Amino acid sequence: MMGLPIVIIITMFPSIMFPSPTRLINNRLISIQQWLVQLTSKQMLSIHNQKGQTWALMLMSLILFIGSTNLLGLLPHSFTPTTQLSLNLGMAIPLWAGTVITGFRHKTKASLAHFLPQGTPLPLIPMLIIIETISLFIQPMALAVRLTANITAGHLLIHLIGGATLALMNISTITAMVTFTILVLLTILEFAVALIQAYVFTLLVSLYLHDNT
Amino acid sequence: MLQSLIKNVWIPLKPYYTQVYQEIWVGMGLMSVIIYKIRSADKRSKALKASSPAPAHGHH
Repeated sequence: MMGLPIVIIITMFPSIMFPSPTRLINNRLISIQQWLVQLTSKQMLSIHNQKGQTWALMLMSLILFIGSTNLLGLLPHSFTPTTQLSLNLGMAIPLWAGTVITGFRHKTKASLAHFLPQGTPLPLIPMLIIIETISLFIQPMALAVRLTANITAGHLLIHLIGGATLALMNISTITAMVTFTILVLLTILEFAVALIQAYVFTLLVSLYLHDNT
Repeated sequence: MLQSLIKNVWIPLKPYYTQVYQEIWVGMGLMSVIIYKIRSADKRSKALKASSPAPAHGHH
């Protein structure tokens, strides 16, 4: 029971890194963050119509949260909330359900028509509807498990290779190669930001398909 | 103090919470139902395991 409140504080910690703009012209940190957020939001919301662009706040908060928690998790001995499947499911299920319900509410016929691609031969129709339904319900699971597995696997690899380097320190020459592997792996892992791009992009595609068609 | 904080959060975000995120609230309700089902099933299986001390190896 004692652990639960602390994990809430740890999860809320990255929001301290993003001060909110108070003036017309802010200091350098806030200006850089503002520019980055505007760049990302313009890129991300360009394919939506007016109804889809009301989700701008949610999508930008999502990408900032996942990006900052993943990047802060690369520091040694830090805790990454996104390695826990519970948090990723808690993010994926409400957002995916929101997009599906939005599609059903505003464009009922078009949402139901997604279950049957055009031009399928008549005998295949029942099988294909079952397959499309399964692929729809797997979307939130895939979103959550993809994020969890990628971040956890990266952290695990860093732990293992770092431990191997330490153990091999007494035997030289091999140490240099392993250390270089760690360096390259860490740089590649800093494309955890690319992963949150993948997360938000996938969520975005889902929103686009369900809402706007 | 709490009221002034709600005034800083709720008043600017009122159209989001009331109109835009309606479907997300429904999704959160769905998620809470799923969590409730999983918790109750877990509690039930733990209570069952605790109340039957005889080790049962081949129960399917």
